[in-house]
Amino acid sequence: MNGGVGEDLARILAERRTDMATIDVGRMGRERHARLQAEMARQGVEVALLLHGPNVTYASGQAVRGVDVSQAVLDRPVAVLVAGEDRPHLLAGDIDPALDVERHPAAWPELDEGAAELARVVGAVAGPLAGRRVAVDEQSGAMLRTGVLGGADIADASHVVGAAKLSKTDDELACIAAAQRRNEEAMAAIQDTARSGATRSQVAGAFLARLAELGGGANLIDPIFQRMPRTVADGPRTTTKTVAFPTGGADDPTFGEGDIVWVDSGIDHLGYASDFGRTWVIGRDPNQAERRLFERWSEVMVAVLEVLKPGVTGGDLCRAAEAANGGDRPWLPHFYLAHGVGVESAEMPLVGTDLGPGFDDRLVMAPGMVLVLEPVIWDDGVGGYRAEEIVAVTGDDWCHLGGGHPYPPFA
Amino acid sequence: MTAPPATTEDAELRADRRDRVFDAMATVGLDVLVLGRRDSVAYASGARSLWTAGTRPFGPACVLVEATRSTHLLSTWDEGVPPEVPFEHLYGVTWNGAILAGALASIPGLATATRIGVEALSPGFEHMARRLAADAELVPADDLMRALRALKLPAEIASIRAAVAVAEAGMEGADAALTDGGGPTAARVAALEEAARRGVTVPTSGVAVSPVDPSAGNHVHVDIGWLVDGYEGGLGRTLPGADDGAPAVAAQRRLIDACRPGATATDLRGAVAAGATRWAVRGSGMGFEPPVVSDALGRGAVIEGAMVLSVEIELDGMRRRDLAVVGPDATEVIGPARDGSRSQAP
Repeated sequence: MNGGVGEDLARILAERRTDMATIDVGRMGRERHARLQAEMARQGVEVALLLHGPNVTYASGQAVRGVDVSQAVLDRPVAVLVAGEDRPHLLAGDIDPALDVERHPAAWPELDEGAAELARVVGAVAGPLAGRRVAVDEQSGAMLRTGVLGGADIADASHVVGAAKLSKTDDELACIAAAQRRNEEAMAAIQDTARSGATRSQVAGAFLARLAELGGGANLIDPIFQRMPRTVADGPRTTTKTVAFPTGGADDPTFGEGDIVWVDSGIDHLGYASDFGRTWVIGRDPNQAERRLFERWSEVMVAVLEVLKPGVTGGDLCRAAEAANGGDRPWLPHFYLAHGVGVESAEMPLVGTDLGPGFDDRLVMAPGMVLVLEPVIWDDGVGGYRAEEIVAVTGDDWCHLGGGHPYPPFA
Repeated sequence: MTAPPATTEDAELRADRRDRVFDAMATVGLDVLVLGRRDSVAYASGARSLWTAGTRPFGPACVLVEATRSTHLLSTWDEGVPPEVPFEHLYGVTWNGAILAGALASIPGLATATRIGVEALSPGFEHMARRLAADAELVPADDLMRALRALKLPAEIASIRAAVAVAEAGMEGADAALTDGGGPTAARVAALEEAARRGVTVPTSGVAVSPVDPSAGNHVHVDIGWLVDGYEGGLGRTLPGADDGAPAVAAQRRLIDACRPGATATDLRGAVAAGATRWAVRGSGMGFEPPVVSDALGRGAVIEGAMVLSVEIELDGMRRRDLAVVGPDATEVIGPARDGSRSQAP
């Protein structure tokens, strides 16, 4: 439909799209464990206690559930790593028999009785903690009251996990690609439900139903179909004085012809997140001004991808994006030009955040890093175009992890 | 269905919850309370935010200052923020700890606090809090929030009743799909579509459809947990023929009847039918809540009036889960018209 730079982008992505390796779950777990052990050694950590869901998944392979935080916290699994051991300890109910872990009953660390049980198990597998360097990502109130880590020299476990997971193995990349491609497949199947007169929840329901039919993967976010204003002034008030996205949760609009809708969804595969982003127009083809938004977005994407390879910095990517956009930053100021994805839907490397240009210039792209590129073109009065593509840095270049979903109704 | 606009009732409920939180802070002597989880933040502030699955790293998503009874929220926009939280009390999403610390430092009353309650604690936030309020004692306050949340206001029970109605519609949809010859996936899709038709797309536990032992025929366990306007609607049945499982109905009724003020885990265990293959009692409200009572858990748990409990039991391959409110005279199942447990109870 569009031709031009949109087709150039689609071609460039297609040229760097490969069939992914067959996922070897056992190998993936062993390699993650080795990386965690290496980071623990490097950071002088003797015991790591992990409660945050994605960290538990990374350490143990425990499946991700698409459940509310209230449940995820209350009956949370816990992973315990002891330096030098060859496998993690997992405290959870219904542990998958295929997981290579030391099994323990669920600990319920949010409850005082559960925190006491957690202290007992940790003591049994790691010995007394007093005076030793123990990394933890979060402590429940019950753990604080019970003194589970009493006397330990407490370190931040997010630094251990963060460093271990920064670059992905081939199995991890294949998981992200599988999640992304299923996400795209479900969206392709339901895009025509986003028509004039449909509500957001109807479209979201169609997406969730299609996911259920496709099987696998948990839904990780209330799927976003946000009707966007044409001017910032017509949208919610923001601390950044730019357009608000993704607001979610507050209302359930009925779409009308010509609405610009920003779409964003995420599902998992074996614990790895995907990130689908597109801009839809309801009930008609985009007009010339709207097409120009997409062309500019495509120009930014092509410019960034032309620069991307191992050794370039986040700053290099930001400068390429800005240069392709006439010197202006083409992304939302509260977010980023690009973010990593893995067991978290957004994780390092974060490029173009309010961590600042110095951070971006020190952030060196390396093989195995994953980038979800999400530039945004905003022309106040016309509206905005936003979409996302997932790529991974390879040994000498990059590859596309998405399945080649096009950009209807723009291309 | 479009989500209803904020009503007077909503404003009253938000005010009642907020007052409870500030009153409790005053009672236990907390100058500041820092909340990190969406459900707690919603309880204390009334904010509606984007639903995401699972846990998030702990951080200061909401800061409550007792002296001024003011609420400060981590939000880049005012969408979903109730009118009683002024725009000036919002601090935007940031990746930069220094920027976050600066925003928190500008909250009046934080730097001079002597006791700061925290819902949970991460090493990063502990470090930040000790710099922002050097003299403050950090106190776990998850128990304070849970004690408040456990005892429901009448308007909360009305919200839960509305949420259960969505779960009920999903159960009927799943039942119809199975009756039409559909399998577990068709049942799950039907339940999802019924919820979406009512404007509901976010779960607590979601829709789980699991086959029963094949020797029991073509039965499946269906469990539904939705989050509707912030409150959980939950229901579990074995389909088809949920109302035919008289022994399971009676067993669940006996367990529900045991959930009376003052009851302990021992009391509930004593009310579980011999031969029950599964059972659990837990709190329900703005999602999953304590108490949790099972064969393994429940030490110190005491049932109180105005609690809402999820009561589940499985007997003879038939599973039932309902939400029930501990009322002044009896503990009553909330909502489902199809339940039948009162009339069929012995």
